[in-house]
Amino acid sequence: MAALPRRIIKETQRLMQEPVPGISAVPDDSNARYFHVIVTGPEDSPFEGGLFKLELFLPEDYPMSAPKVRFITKIYHPNIDRLGRICLDILKDKWSPALQIRTVLLSIQALLSAPNPDDPLANDVAELWKVNESEAIRNAKEWTRRYAMDN
Amino acid sequence: MSHHERVQEELEALEAILMDDISISYNEIGCAELVKSTIFPSTANEVEKQYVCVTLEVKLPENYPDCKPVVKLKSPRGLDDSTIDHLYREINKKCDEFLGQPVIFELIDLIRENLTESNLPTCQCAVCLYGFSEGDSFTKTQCFHYFHNYCLANHLIITSKHFNEEQDKLPAWKRSPEGFRATCPVCRELINCDVDELKTAMPPKDLENAQKFEVTHELKLLQQEMQQLFNYQKSRGGIIDIEAEENKLLLITNSNEDSAADNSGDPGTSLSNTISSSSVSDGVQNRNQRHYSNYSSHR
Ligand SMILES: [Zn+2]
Ligand SMILES: [Zn+2]
Repeated sequence: MAALPRRIIKETQRLMQEPVPGISAVPDDSNARYFHVIVTGPEDSPFEGGLFKLELFLPEDYPMSAPKVRFITKIYHPNIDRLGRICLDILKDKWSPALQIRTVLLSIQALLSAPNPDDPLANDVAELWKVNESEAIRNAKEWTRRYAMDN
Repeated sequence: MSHHERVQEELEALEAILMDDISISYNEIGCAELVKSTIFPSTANEVEKQYVCVTLEVKLPENYPDCKPVVKLKSPRGLDDSTIDHLYREINKKCDEFLGQPVIFELIDLIRENLTESNLPTCQCAVCLYGFSEGDSFTKTQCFHYFHNYCLANHLIITSKHFNEEQDKLPAWKRSPEGFRATCPVCRELINCDVDELKTAMPPKDLENAQKFEVTHELKLLQQEMQQLFNYQKSRGGIIDIEAEENKLLLITNSNEDSAADNSGDPGTSLSNTISSSSVSDGVQNRNQRHYSNYSSHR
C-alpha cells in the first residue's frame, strides 16, 4: 500500500481515541482509505434506534477533494436515494479541506434529524414528505425498524 | 466617589488610551455593562507581523470593581486551547489581585504581553492538521487563519481547477464575471494570495509520510462488530443492492427517456450520465464503492 498521508493517520487515530457519540468509523484492513461507518439514528427523529451502515472512501487527493460517502443500509429519506447516495452540499461544491471525516459524518447525522424535502435526491420520498409528512415519517420509521436494526 | 463614577473614570481613561480599539455597551439606565477589545501582540505597528489575536470581553457586575468582572476570551486566532487556558488562569489571578481597583487595562496589558511572547501560531494548519515548526513557511490570511504555504497552494490550485471546470459546463451568459476568487478553507472569506509564490514552498516538515498505518486489536474487534451488523442487516434485506437498483433506474430511463430528469438521479449530473458512467468522478465512485461492498460482503 502506498504510504498514507499523515493527515489521514492523524484523523484515524483521533476517531479511535475520541470517538464522536453515535458515530463509529473504522478503516478497512486492506485499505486504510476505506472506512466502515455506523451512524446511529438521532433521537427524536424517525431514524431513532436504527444503526445505519455507510461506506466512506478518501480519494487520492483528499483532503483537497471531498470523501465519497454512501449509505449501505437502506434508508427512507428525501435526501438519500435508492443507491444510498447523499445530497449534501459539503460533499460537493461546499467541500473545504478544513472539514474532516468527523465533521462530514456529523453533518450526515444532522441530515437525519432534519430532512430537507425541498432539495431532494429521492424524488418519490421527497414528494410524499411534502404532501403527507406523517405518512412519510411512518415509512421512515418502518424502514428503520425493518432494515436498520441490530441483532 | 460612587461605584458609577469610579467605573466611568476607568472607562474614560481606557477610551483615551485605546480610542477605537475598545467598545463599551451601556444598559438602559446608562451604566456600562460590557467592555470589548480585540488585542494584538505589540509589533511596533507592523500589522503584517501580528500572527495572533483574541477578543477580550469584560462583563461588569453592578458593584464592580468591588466584585470581580466576568471575563471571556472570544474569537482566538492562531492560538490553541492550552494557550487560551493559560491566559484564563493569568486573568483570574490578575482579577483576584486587583479586587476593588480598576482592572480592565491590566487585563489588556497582560493579554497583549502574552500574545507578544507567543506571536507564532500555536494552532494547527486546518489543511494538514499539523502545527507550524521552525522553518515552515506559512501564511496568515486577512481573516487570521493559518496555513502552510504548501497546503494553501494545494487548496487554491484544486479549487480554481474545480471552479474552472464548473464554469466550462455553463453557457457563457451564466459564467461568473469575476473569475476564480480565492477563499479561506476555514471561514470561506475571500483572501488575497499569490498562488505562484505559495507553491514554491517546501512541504511542512511533519507532512512527510513516515508512520505506517497499524491495525490494532481494538480495531479488529470494531471491524468484526461492523461485519456482524452488516451480515445481520443483509439477512433482513436491509442492504442496498447497487446493481439491482441501477438496473431498475436503467429501466425507468429507457422507458422514459424524456423525463429522465424527474427521476431520482444525482442532482449535479443527469441521470443517464450517472448510469453510463460518462461522468468520470461518479463512475469512479460507483466502481470503487461496488468493489468495496463486494469485498465486505464476501469476506
Ligand atoms: Zn498544513
Ligand atoms: Zn478564514
